[in-house]
Amino acid sequence: MENEHPKPPISGVIYGTICYWIVIVGILVAIVGMSMYFISGGCFDTEILLDSLWEGKVVEEVWAEASCVGHLPEGHWYLNFDLLSHGDVIAMVGVAIICCAAVVGMWGAFVGTVRSREKLYAVLALIIAIILTLSAIGVITLE
Amino acid sequence: MELSAIEFFFTFLAISIVIGMIAVLGGVGGGVVFTPLMMGFTPIDSFIIRGTGLLVAMAGSLIAARPFLNRGLANIRLLLLAGVPYAIFAVIGALLAGYIQETAGETGEAIIRLSLGILIIGIAALIFFGGRKVEYPEIKNVDSITERLALATSYYEQSLGKVVYYKVKRAPVGILIFCFVGLVSGLFGLGAGWAMVPTLNLAMLAPLKVAAASSKVLIGIGDTAAVWPYMKDGAIFALFAVPCVIGMVIGTIIGAKIMIKIKAGFVRWLIIAVMAGAGIKLILDGVSRLGSS
Repeated sequence: MENEHPKPPISGVIYGTICYWIVIVGILVAIVGMSMYFISGGCFDTEILLDSLWEGKVVEEVWAEASCVGHLPEGHWYLNFDLLSHGDVIAMVGVAIICCAAVVGMWGAFVGTVRSREKLYAVLALIIAIILTLSAIGVITLE
Repeated sequence: MELSAIEFFFTFLAISIVIGMIAVLGGVGGGVVFTPLMMGFTPIDSFIIRGTGLLVAMAGSLIAARPFLNRGLANIRLLLLAGVPYAIFAVIGALLAGYIQETAGETGEAIIRLSLGILIIGIAALIFFGGRKVEYPEIKNVDSITERLALATSYYEQSLGKVVYYKVKRAPVGILIFCFVGLVSGLFGLGAGWAMVPTLNLAMLAPLKVAAASSKVLIGIGDTAAVWPYMKDGAIFALFAVPCVIGMVIGTIIGAKIMIKIKAGFVRWLIIAVMAGAGIKLILDGVSRLGSS
């Protein structure tokens, strides 16, 4: 039928839905974290952080001068249990959740392509999902 | 600049809302306006801005994915095909950015600013001259490789009140271009809708709406691959990133709503002016840093 709405591929629907909701959750967590940061402070001293940013200092200097850690951390530093009482660290967890959206979404798309028996596209979805996962878990790193 | 943390948060929230709105109205992604503007007109270190720029471009794109994919406007097969070279090269670009940052010092910063300035002026020129855009390209012959990839599909076009069936062609050319686009995106912290839409519409001959929707969704995939190295290298700070992400998402939603009601022509001129200004500032900055390094 010319006017009948075509059914969108299930892999795309799964990817889009997962991404949308994960981003919403991430934004909410980030907002809660920032509210806590403004009320009770956080790991970063706001005054020193802002001064460092406005002075154009590089990442290492900003961390050394403004953070409670005192040096550039490694890996998923915001998942450190000792730091999770700080509002800005919770906000960073929210940011990390947002960054996970496409990773989880692409695994969902992979399942969708497998279920609809699109072999080539299942392989492509798998490749992208693996790249995103490697990037997220830190196998791909700047160091 | 003497701003309290709350003032800083709301200032950047407001700036990002405006950037998100004008970006949507001007038909470009948020990152391509955000990154050069912040690099050109704030003293914040470019590595921090580029990481945040990727995050900003990615968040808007991930939010837009659901409606575009549910309506079939974004072609998931096209996304997966382009996503592989785009994601791989976006990661390479991000790694290259980190390498330059760590090894080349002030000269590296100067080269990054100079090349981004030239690129941004090139993009502004591309928008200025408009480029040839074809709403529904006509395809007579599809090459055998693209044919085998079965990228032809359909979607319901509301403005026409009917289903639009379409094909695409030249998939191998598209894949090559996406390698370059991914590299630029990861290196400079830009979304790359400005390059993807012409690639999909003019090189692969996808309908304009499909090209725009697919490119918007694709940014979320490639930028996710590129943003994690910045995240884990400590280049993203909540106080700077959170207001920019929230602002960009709000601005994108508002922009998408008012786009239906207003003529976006003047916004296009505004974007060209802002990008040209930021580009010139970046080039001057890059040249002066090169001279002093």
